[in-house]
Order: sequence, then C-alpha cells, then structure tokens
Amino acid sequence: MTHTPNVTFYDFRKSAAKAVNDPNLQRAVDGATLRFRTHRAEALAELPDSDALRDHLKAIRAATLACLADHLETFERNAQAAGAHVHWARDAADAQRIVVEIAQQHDADLVVKSKSMATEEIHLNDALLAAGIEPVETDLGEWIIQLAGEPPSHIIGPALHKTRQQVAELFNRKLGTNFTGDDIPGMTEQARRVLREKFLSASIGISGVNVAVAETGSIVLVTNEGNGRMVTSAPPVHIAVMGLEKLAPTWDDAAVWLSLLGRSATGQPLSIYTATITGPAQADDPDGPQEVHIVLLDNGRSALLGGKYEEILQCIRCGACLNICPVYQEVSGHAYGSPYSGPIGAVITPLLFGLEEYEALPHASSLCGACLDVCPARIDLPRMLLELRADEVEQRIIPRQERLLEGSAAWVLGRPRLFRFLTGLGRFFQRPLARNGSLRLPRGLNPARDRQLPALAPRSFRELWDDGLSANDATSEEEGT
Amino acid sequence: MTAREHILGQLRDNARGDAAPPAPWQSRRQFDDMAARFIASLEKVKGAAYRVASLDVALDKLGELLQTLEAERIVVNNEAPFDTLDLPGRWPEAEWHTVGQAGDLRAACAAADVGLSSADAALAETGTLVLSSGPGRSRLVTLLPPVHIALVPAACLTPDIFTWTATRHAAGLADAMPANLILVSGPSKTADIEQTLAVGVHGPKRFIVVLYD
Ligand code: SF4
Repeated sequence: MTHTPNVTFYDFRKSAAKAVNDPNLQRAVDGATLRFRTHRAEALAELPDSDALRDHLKAIRAATLACLADHLETFERNAQAAGAHVHWARDAADAQRIVVEIAQQHDADLVVKSKSMATEEIHLNDALLAAGIEPVETDLGEWIIQLAGEPPSHIIGPALHKTRQQVAELFNRKLGTNFTGDDIPGMTEQARRVLREKFLSASIGISGVNVAVAETGSIVLVTNEGNGRMVTSAPPVHIAVMGLEKLAPTWDDAAVWLSLLGRSATGQPLSIYTATITGPAQADDPDGPQEVHIVLLDNGRSALLGGKYEEILQCIRCGACLNICPVYQEVSGHAYGSPYSGPIGAVITPLLFGLEEYEALPHASSLCGACLDVCPARIDLPRMLLELRADEVEQRIIPRQERLLEGSAAWVLGRPRLFRFLTGLGRFFQRPLARNGSLRLPRGLNPARDRQLPALAPRSFRELWDDGLSANDATSEEEGT
Repeated sequence: MTAREHILGQLRDNARGDAAPPAPWQSRRQFDDMAARFIASLEKVKGAAYRVASLDVALDKLGELLQTLEAERIVVNNEAPFDTLDLPGRWPEAEWHTVGQAGDLRAACAAADVGLSSADAALAETGTLVLSSGPGRSRLVTLLPPVHIALVPAACLTPDIFTWTATRHAAGLADAMPANLILVSGPSKTADIEQTLAVGVHGPKRFIVVLYD
C-alpha cells in the first residue's frame, strides 16, 4: 500500500523538463514563491533580533534531540495525565493500522483531516479508503489537490502549482459549479459550505502536529483557515499523527518555535489560529472531543539520531528553503516524488525512504547555500546534500557505467600523451554527430532533450595556449630589438 | 518488544545525550502603547479592534456592532464580563443562547450570526487573543459563527508570546492547561488559490475586539 515511487536520475530529469515546459506551473510557482520570500523577509526584519532568535531555536532543537527519549517520555506521561491516548508507531504500516483501528472501533465512515505532512508521509488516506472510510481534506489547498487526485507540491501551499483558472475548472468539473478564475471569494465560500457540513457530520478528526510540548503533554496545530480548530473541536474523536522529533520541552521553547514558524513560512508573526490541545474535553467543558489519540511516528527518524544527519531532525517544516531554492522554483514539488520537496525534501526523503529509491534527489541542488541562509533552525542542508552524494558513491548507488566512465577518465587524464592522442581520434570520429559546435546525444543519455554537449573544438586549449605563448614570445622579441 | 520499547531503545542508543538547553528566550519587545500596537497588528490582517474607556462604553460599542451586523442570533460564553450582565434583557430583539443553558449548543453555534466571548490575554505584538476552554467557555462559540466579537479588559494586554508564557510560569499556570487553548490573530483566511487573500474559510469571517479599561 505504501507506494514509494522511485526517483531515478532519469525520472527526475523527465519530470523536471515537464515542469519547466509548463507555463501555467511556472507562473504559479514563481508568483507564490516570490510572495512567500518577500513576506518572510519583511516579517523577520520587523523582529528586534531575528538572528539571535534563530540561534536560540537552533540551540533548543539540538538540546532536545540530544535527550529526545526523555522528553518523549515526559510528553507521554503528561498527555496521558490529561486523558489522551498515546500510541507509538515504528513505521508507516504501524501508524496506518493504529489509525484505522481507532476509526473502526468508532464505526467511522467519514473522517475530516486538517493538512498534515506526517499523514501524507504514511499514505494514510489510501489506508483509510482501503478500509472503507472516506477521508476529506479540509485545508483549502489540500482539498483542491484531493479533488484533483494529486499529491501536495509544497509543504505550506499544497496547491500552489495551480493557477486560479485551473482551480475554477476543477471546481466546475467536480462540484458542478460555474466559477471563473477571478471568483476566488466565491470558490472559498463554496469550500466553506461543503466542508462545514463534513466537519459537523464526521465522527473523527485527524490532524498532524506542528509542535508538541512535553511539560504539559500538549499538541499544537497552526492553521490560517480554522480547519485545525474544526477538526479538533467538532468531531467526538481526534487523532493526531506526529513525527516524534517535533517536540519542545517547555512552553518557552514552543513560543520560540511558533514565532519563527509563521514568519518563516508565510511571513505572518503568528498564524491566524494556534490551537493547543491538552487531552480530551474536561468534565465541565461545554463541548470538545471525548477522545484524543496521539500517534508518535518514528518511520526512520530514530536511526538518524546521533549520526551525521541528525541535524535534519531539527526541521520545523516551515517551507522557507523551498521558496528560496532555484531548483524548486523551476521543477516544483512533484518532481521530488515525495511529500517533502525542495532542499528539505532532497535531504529527508532519501534518508527516510531510501537513498537508492531516491538517488536523484541529493543532486537536485546547485549547492548555492540559499536554503541554509533562510532556515530558521540554521540547518546545513548543503552539507547533508554533499554527504548523501558521497554516500551514493560509497554505497555504489551511482550507476556502474558512470563509475567506469569516471574511473577511466581519471586514468586517461593522468596520461597527457594518451589524452592528446584520444582527443585527436575523437575529433575525427565525432564528425557525423557534431552540428554547430555541439554533439547530438542519443535519447537515453538526454531524456529531456535539453542537454548540449559541446563538440571537441578543432584545436584544443592547450594548442591555442602554446601558440599564444610563442606568439607572445615573438612580440617581446620584436620589442626587444 | 513493543513498538514503544523498540523506539525508545533506539533513541537512547543513538542519542548523544549531551543536552545543554539555553536559558529561556527573553522578550525584546517593548511598546509604549500596547493597545495601539494590538489594534494596528489586527487591522493589518483585516481584523478590527477598538479601545474604549470602560465596560459600559464597550457594551455601547457592542450594541452598535450588533446593529450594523443585523445580528439576529447570538451565542455567548458564560464567562466574565457577560456572566453578570443581562444581555438578552439589553437586546431583546435578538435570539440569545448562553453556554450552559438548555438546548443544543452546537446547533445554536452553527445557526448564530455572532459569537461573543472574552479572553485570557491579549498579545500586543501580533494582535492575538488567548482563548481557553472551561466551564461556560465553548470552543464552537468562537469558531462556527461568521462573526466573533470579544470584549477584553485592556489589563489583559502583554507585549508578546514570550511575556505571555513567562507570566503563566510566574503565576504557576504552566501545568494547568485547559483542554483547548487557542491563540487567535485575525479572521479566518486563506491564500491557497494563487496566494490571493480570501477571508472566512472555516472560521469567523470577521474578528472584532473591544478592549476596555
Ligand atoms: S529545513 Fe529549515 S527552511 Fe527548510 S522547512 Fe525545515 S526548518 Fe524550514
């Protein structure tokens, strides 16, 4: 059930080329990432000391991970004391089973969901559907892509690859409406109407967790639309799925986390709604869920602790590194074949789901360093991208032909006379393939048909250099006379 | 071995264990006029806030708002300052539902034009109200109706989220969490369609705060 679409070099280049040649997608992604970037920069500039705050977040995250097991136990104890059920899931299959079982115990046929990357990661919707339970996404962007049958293309804006016209067409097709692209208020109102009914009739609400707080056993959810509040307030049962690293020991720590999350993600000092859930409704509360379940998801995270990739667990999933990344801006999210795209996705996807399966992702970067500059937790993504590339060589994931080719190239380059001889041969034999100074590559080497390999020049640089030197010598001799 | 033991074991084996957590972040915010900053921040996100001299004036303002909104059905939390006021007596034209009274609270919230509440705290920096659940305090009152109006003592203002958490610690409240605690920083909104702002997705379309002395 958990499908891991392989992202080989060939796949990545193919989907990248498709994205680059899609003008709607380019327009939508350029516009959205530019706005995110501008708002983020303004929001951080407005803080009295954003650099120090980011250093502080980094310190909190590092210290928390150093003793993660203790903090998780504190969290569990306090959450249970507040009446919540805490479940531990080793992997996606565990987590799916736990959630489906709870849903079945309550005879649920409809669950409402608020946007959650953890549930995307474990393909929870597929598992629910297989069990005959209908999951309805309630974040507007997430609902749009659910209607379209697509995965999210951005951590924060799952549908940001779509233009308003495309959304209107989708609504008209799926909901029988008659919107034009300019009627964004109308489409929003439509979503409110349709989803309001779902909120009030669903027997279970499922959410992710933006940050959990150990000292009180609370989970915190941020949304702008209010769906996070709806999902955790209206249905009688609430299930939250969280990556087990998303923990802050204290409320002071959570406050730092939240102040940087909104600002880095959308440029908001705080999201519109920050909802904190500490157990189910208390005896004298007038409303609220009767049961709260928290699923702590490992799925490969614990293996990263203490190693050279531990830093990736400091991520607060703000999406800032996506918005600044020149590669993400061109290829958009789907090319990464993972719910996590952009620089964070290029690092965490292979780490959680397999380097061999996602061999292309560590290379989806120019190593320009922009992601490190904007990351609120100052995570050194470029370093880890390089480490992953080195791992690929070490684990021999790099294709055999490429390794052979590189090995022979090194051998030849160490022998100048052989090199000169071979380039001479090449110059002769390239003739049928060369056109206007470049070689036509066979399709298999050039899936996107966008690569040009320059033909060997009629005279090598070395020959020109030697000529130049003797010409220079000649000049100086003349001057000398 | 249970999943729990397995995961905790793996975490313990791998973790460095050399934690040195930093001292809590100290707020670097100071506002000469916290109410003014609160109002400005809220207006930036299309919320509205007013500052008035007393609870009486706040109630006048509320009356004015209810009239312009043409509110016919109103749900209200049973909390200070409303619990000692006879709101239905003041505005008999409207249909009132007070949390705790007989009847279906959820249906009343779903049908209401306005939800009325107070707040625990107001964060000046971000124009944020802190709402908590508890006896007489419903989650749906401030969530389902298209308009949420809050009457909040200006004394609840604190500079930012850090001074708020610090005050809670100082008051020994940090451990006493309500089941539901919400920070609201504006009306419900989305930018999910081409990053174009649309107000009122799932929560209230209008968020109006009256701060009174
Ligand atoms: S790696 Fe940093 S910038 Fe990227 S999503 Fe995570 S916290 Fe945000």
